Amino acid sequence: MSKWKIYTADGVQDILFEDCYLKRGLEQKFRSLFRSCGFREVESPTIEFFDVFASDEAAMPQENMFKFFDQQGRILVLRPDITIPIARISATKYREARYPLRVSYVGNVFRYDDYGGGKQNEFTQAGIEVLGINTPESDAEVIAVAIKALKAAGLESFQVDIGQVEFFNGLMEETGLAEEDVTEVRKLIDRKDYVGLEEFLKRCEIGEDLKELISDLPGYFGSADVIERVESKPLSRRSRQALENIRQVLKILEDYGFGKYVSVDLGMLRELSYDTGIIFRGFTYGVGFPILTGGRYDRLLGEFGMDCPATGFSLGVNMIMKALQRQKIEAESPEVDSFICYGDAGRRTAFELCEELRKQGIVVEMDIANSSIDEAKSYALDRNIGGVISIIDEDTVEIHYIQSGEVASVKISELLKR
Amino acid sequence: MRYLTIALSKGRLAELSIEMLEKIGIDCSEYRDESRKLIFTDEKSRIRFFLVKPADVPTYVEYGAADMGVVGKDTLLEEGRNLHEVLNLGFAACRMVVAGPAELAGKLDSLNNKRVGTKYPRIAREYFEHNRRESIEVIKLSGSVELAPLVGLSEVIVDLVESGRTLRDNGLVVLDTIADISARLVVNRVSMKMESERVNRIIDGLRKQL
Repeated sequence: MSKWKIYTADGVQDILFEDCYLKRGLEQKFRSLFRSCGFREVESPTIEFFDVFASDEAAMPQENMFKFFDQQGRILVLRPDITIPIARISATKYREARYPLRVSYVGNVFRYDDYGGGKQNEFTQAGIEVLGINTPESDAEVIAVAIKALKAAGLESFQVDIGQVEFFNGLMEETGLAEEDVTEVRKLIDRKDYVGLEEFLKRCEIGEDLKELISDLPGYFGSADVIERVESKPLSRRSRQALENIRQVLKILEDYGFGKYVSVDLGMLRELSYDTGIIFRGFTYGVGFPILTGGRYDRLLGEFGMDCPATGFSLGVNMIMKALQRQKIEAESPEVDSFICYGDAGRRTAFELCEELRKQGIVVEMDIANSSIDEAKSYALDRNIGGVISIIDEDTVEIHYIQSGEVASVKISELLKR
Repeated sequence: MRYLTIALSKGRLAELSIEMLEKIGIDCSEYRDESRKLIFTDEKSRIRFFLVKPADVPTYVEYGAADMGVVGKDTLLEEGRNLHEVLNLGFAACRMVVAGPAELAGKLDSLNNKRVGTKYPRIAREYFEHNRRESIEVIKLSGSVELAPLVGLSEVIVDLVESGRTLRDNGLVVLDTIADISARLVVNRVSMKMESERVNRIIDGLRKQL
């Protein structure tokens, strides 16, 4: 019966002291950044109806979701995404609110063996959504907040690639390919599968110019001059507008001072998604997966009965942690400053002193094991605690500095003045 | 500068891959020395490479433990990893086929319960379920797949065919071709961006060799 009790399930993990401290620190940084930009946080339920993620626009592959039943036999899932629940919330609970609406979240999502999580089945996403507006300004703001978030996390070398799905859609419209074939082409381009793409195009009846453009598409990434290179080609109005849109967003990002972090990838597409305009992904050294994905999804809220444009992004918090660790970026760890020892007689004094020190922001641990001073020092040494404070009487303490080995007798009143 | 790491497939692809790398000026002398090292380094161009089982190459590349890799298309199809497949290197060419006894030729559709013996369960499933829209029973084997139809373990097989001789010697024929297979250059999705200059230099160098 209890064969598995000492193990964790596949794809989930315990997050221990140092990591958890780092993770909470990151989440806090993201929360306060979002807050400072005017975003308001919501918490959506961990459990949702399967239907929320099964609509046409938001079709998550069902094999990637954790599913179970409620008491009435309805299918439930552990949320595989938080953007879709926020679309549901906005379209049902904030229908009458004043838009644009800025929403943020931090929470865990669950997917079987997913790429976005770096193969974790449970991982934490922090993100924002801007609802009710479709302007280059809003696309740029969302990307700018994403860049600020990566900087706040402590990353310096990272890159955010920007694409526009309408560019691809414009090309596909011209080809007149059936939807199935478009899906295939999308997949091949997203994988930068030049080989497969060329083979596939050979079998399609498309004009030579267009064919060449499509087969080159996976290679259209890099600095902003990619746009100029492509613009010289014969393009439909739809594709041209998409290029113009990217250019506008890039220009605004220049004004943010973030030009150096962004580049263009016209071949960026997602196999299964609700994207409708600008999309973007963030990369850094040390992790082989994107640390951030985002984009515009103007049709998603329509699935929940409210036509409303929207855009947003989510950060992979666990991925960012891994990147920080791999890039050896200095992180704080949960340290304890002082350890207070006392006897029965000094207990009241110890508690008062401890409260005062904690008020000053010092992390204090109380000795609850009735240790001798040597035991206390050994414990402090192992736990990397700076000093042991031993209560002598109502006014005096003895401080044992662990690193230097010094001992000093100090008045409590003086200690609190430091 | 950080090392650019390349994962190569052990076995028949390894020697050909190394030759290609040498041709574009990557120093592979550490490999030629036949030491017991697992990772070979070219300090001058800051490139290192290692050899692993073919099926593991896409995994190393997907996770970013290797920036690039050389691996057969068969392995890529079977592993279904999320990475960039940027170049057909052309060597180690063969075909992935459905094969079976000659009397099944043209009658594959009429078979009700198809049992498919294969080393490539994912490719077999994808082909039958997605392309042909048929249900099958996959019987996973690890070698001598041609034996399966002969002893009644399966009706047909899905396997790699180079010359077709093994099939002929055992009275089997190719019933359909699933895909043309050859060695491919694959790149991690992040490396493609973060190291695009160095990665593209290698891609272009290799492309010129073809």
